[in-house]
Amino acid sequence: MKSKISILLVGLMVVLAIAGCAKKEAPAAAPSLKVGMVTDAGTIDDKSFNQGTWEGVVRAGTEFKLDTKYLKPSGTTEADYLKEIGNLYDAGYKFVVTPGFKFETTIFQAQTKYADAKFVLIDGSPHAGDWKSVVGPNTVSIFFAEHESGFVAGVAAALQIKTGSFGFIGGMEIPPVQKFNWGFQQGVDYANKNLGTKITMKAENVIYQGSFDNVAAGQQIAASMYDKGVSVIFAAAGGVGVGAINEAKARATAGKTAWIVGVDVDQYAEGIYSGDKSIILTSAMKGIDVAAFDMIKAELGGTFPGGKTLIFDAKNNGVGIPAKNPNLSPEVQAKVAEVFKLLQAGTIAVKAEQGTLIK
Amino acid sequence: MNRYKSLFTALAAVVLGLLAGAVFMALSGSNPVAGFYYLFRGGLMNLERIGNTLASATTLIFTGLAVAFSFKTGLFNIGASGQMLMGGLTATAIGLSVQMPRIVLLPLIVLAAASAGALWAAIPGFLKARFNVHEVVATIMMNWIAYWTVYYTIPAYFKGTFLETESRRIPALASFRAEWLTNIFRGSYINMGIFLAAAAVVVIAIILDKTTLGFELKAVGFNRHAAEYAGIHVPKNIVLSMSISGFLAGLAGATYYLGYAVNMQIGVVPSAGIDGIAVALLGANSPWGVAASSVFFGILHSGKGFMNAMTKVPPEIGDTIIAIIIYFAATGVLFTRLWERLTRKRSKEA
Repeated sequence: MKSKISILLVGLMVVLAIAGCAKKEAPAAAPSLKVGMVTDAGTIDDKSFNQGTWEGVVRAGTEFKLDTKYLKPSGTTEADYLKEIGNLYDAGYKFVVTPGFKFETTIFQAQTKYADAKFVLIDGSPHAGDWKSVVGPNTVSIFFAEHESGFVAGVAAALQIKTGSFGFIGGMEIPPVQKFNWGFQQGVDYANKNLGTKITMKAENVIYQGSFDNVAAGQQIAASMYDKGVSVIFAAAGGVGVGAINEAKARATAGKTAWIVGVDVDQYAEGIYSGDKSIILTSAMKGIDVAAFDMIKAELGGTFPGGKTLIFDAKNNGVGIPAKNPNLSPEVQAKVAEVFKLLQAGTIAVKAEQGTLIK
Repeated sequence: MNRYKSLFTALAAVVLGLLAGAVFMALSGSNPVAGFYYLFRGGLMNLERIGNTLASATTLIFTGLAVAFSFKTGLFNIGASGQMLMGGLTATAIGLSVQMPRIVLLPLIVLAAASAGALWAAIPGFLKARFNVHEVVATIMMNWIAYWTVYYTIPAYFKGTFLETESRRIPALASFRAEWLTNIFRGSYINMGIFLAAAAVVVIAIILDKTTLGFELKAVGFNRHAAEYAGIHVPKNIVLSMSISGFLAGLAGATYYLGYAVNMQIGVVPSAGIDGIAVALLGANSPWGVAASSVFFGILHSGKGFMNAMTKVPPEIGDTIIAIIIYFAATGVLFTRLWERLTRKRSKEA
């Protein structure tokens, strides 16, 4: 008797499905490019990776009049990601942008499974799970020189604050975050040696929280650093960084000094606590949006660099601090621009390894 | 007669859920007909998608059965997520460290993972039986203990070459995915867990309806004191019921982390544990009902993305619509039950 329940339920579904299949879809109207994106863990307005990528896609969409769409996977497993790529593909979105290293094994499968689609993998390189990079002819893998971005932000922050103690809060201890940290320390060091600043960075004030979403922990860590006399914290930590920003805002509102150096995108607006005053000193940016935009533009122009791994660094303006920094004095900004030129020219070399640096 | 009633209740709940979803789609400015068309098409339009739907349903069948089974004994196992995590952790640990022929390895993994889940659920069961600690509180706490255990264990012993946040990839030897199955379903990530799930449905149905054990468990669920008076050892049955429930959730963990997923990530409470409650409610706590409602939820889960891709419904609204359908589908049963209870009382009074 009970099995009848299931039979009937399944029957209902089959009927619904057949009813669905019976209707033929209208043939695709315009052959123009449809650009899709699959979000990583987190929302589309994460003020960071997803948002940056999506902004680039949207900008390209408005400029070139393209159909754009993002899908949000229900989980963070390879199966969840692959499913959404399949959904985009079946819906005619054959140019797919995916942000984050978590897509590496997914894109590895997708690039052969959907051979006539194009893939842009930001911050990662496709591999089968063995870390042996295989960039398919229809895929572009994009990396950023986070250490150079951190370096410039470190120089800028040091020049503006001149004397004091700096700290770093990282999310997970993964290469992009580590490179931000190492670059930032080198930037502070460069300013101390060449530009007359006196900034210290203690080992106890360099902390990886271990996640990208623990807002409360970020706030706690930031509070204890500020209590120990740290004036500027570089927070490369997603949601954990949001907690640090909240703490800085609370302190600034109470009239105390507390600065944050933002990450990935220009986070100035996130740090506003009264009027247009923000606790974001500057931001160590990665041109995620630029990368997404450029790849779409290249595809339209027929010059999609399939099979290649691209590095966005200071040389091609792929990293750096925002064009507008209301919390940096004009002199500091001019000085930073000089340093940035030296970096572009290769006169200054920033290491992407830990070496003798903290953590 | 009663069975027909629960069938109609379930169907009414599904229709109510779909209607509520339709209203929401219309409110968000989309055509509900098109929305549902793409939703079901996304779940069923080709073999690969049917395979994916079944893969989503596999986990839900296990967690749904786990919740339904404990419901039968009057227990609310809200800890299927935690039991799933422990099952998954055990399965991952064995899968990554033991080398033996597949035919021995897979049953070993299945047994070990299920036992881990059973043990994890037996603890709140014991606390309930011995000290009358409410199982809802205890199982929620056990969820967090499992969460942090995974959070510590994976990076400490099973982390990948570069990533601290997930285990190494499960080798093909220990994976529940099978090439022939993937080929039948045209590259879907369906895995052999579906056969285990189907077997579990049958076994649980037999236990509940055809055995003394099932009779005793249900008796405890209907009226604990009456059961005790009738000579049934209530504490034993509570622990046993929770253990079997956890056993099923442990299987969910094994098939999810070694079949659906390709490794174990830290910091994630599997939502299937909670969805299992809705599955059990919609399925009226019957094993067959659980199987059917799991497939239904599986369609929703795997069709959602295609609906988003084909319509102007934004993904966040898409999630909301699915949640509304599930919500109404689940609470619809509650409403009918309440109504039934009221009418029964009234007829008694009269």
